[in-house]
Amino acid sequence: MNHGREQIYWEDVTVGDDLPEVSLDINTKRLFLQASGSQDWYPVHFDPAFARKAGHEEVFMNTGFIQAALVRVITDWMGDAGFIRRLRFEMRRQYRPGDTMTCRARVTAKEDRDGVACVDLEVWGENGRDGVATPGEATVILPRREAG
Amino acid sequence: MSYDIDAVRKQYIGFETAKARARYPVEHETIRRHCHMVEDNNPLFLDPAYAARTEHGACLAPQSGWLALVLASLGPWPAVFEPLFPIVPTPGKRIVNMSQEVEWSARIKAGDHLSAVRRIVDVYQKGITIDPEAVWIVSDVIITNQRDEEVCTIRNTFLTHRTPAEVEAARGTGA
Repeated sequence: MNHGREQIYWEDVTVGDDLPEVSLDINTKRLFLQASGSQDWYPVHFDPAFARKAGHEEVFMNTGFIQAALVRVITDWMGDAGFIRRLRFEMRRQYRPGDTMTCRARVTAKEDRDGVACVDLEVWGENGRDGVATPGEATVILPRREAG
Repeated sequence: MSYDIDAVRKQYIGFETAKARARYPVEHETIRRHCHMVEDNNPLFLDPAYAARTEHGACLAPQSGWLALVLASLGPWPAVFEPLFPIVPTPGKRIVNMSQEVEWSARIKAGDHLSAVRRIVDVYQKGITIDPEAVWIVSDVIITNQRDEEVCTIRNTFLTHRTPAEVEAARGTGA
């Protein structure tokens, strides 16, 4: 039987809390999973010759993959009743075969905004070579205990 | 003939596509493949029996703007969820995505049927290491569901560039 994620409530969140991280090895199998899972068939993400001809050192992971990993950090933590209101991120450095991608997040603010229980997060991905490769931020709406 | 960025901006900024309905409803298998690539085994996304017992009543799609684009596109093949590139003429045909911002209004459930409207927000030239004449394109995609409720708005910024060989060749011809 499948079990869902533990529900986190707005009252239980503290600014500075770190969310559990997600680490993924970037290898050949992952390149295929990326193309299948994102339906992105642009060859710069799986064809080394195509990537090098374009001026890149190597193939690199696409936006769909990176976003899925960042979202997973949030959804693993926030539980079934949580809702991502906003997510913004920048692709500043690449994730390439041989890298380990590690995605993390931290609570930066917690506010009642017009009756809505909001939590702001800093969310980012690291590639092991450059440090932070994908800086980002998110706002999540969480349930309140009294409402639950 | 040289590339006229002012003419391109004048012609394309504000351009909006007609609303296009996805060829298929949101399918479990598309969600499963998306989850599989990042080892996401959340039953809310993958297990219909589990999801039916939650307040949502059905499997959700993870809140990824990219996945929303895939689910709202015209089918799995040919992939048409990045159709803005051919709309705006650019000197280079290579693409690098730079940033994305997604504002969510509603969840996507398996069985929903999505539609998309795409809009060009900005086009400008800013050089990068590979190509001093790279063109950057900012676009919005507004995704709605079968009840015409807005699901999310995705603002994407990507650049198009020439290959180093193409840049070198253009230097040689003075183009």
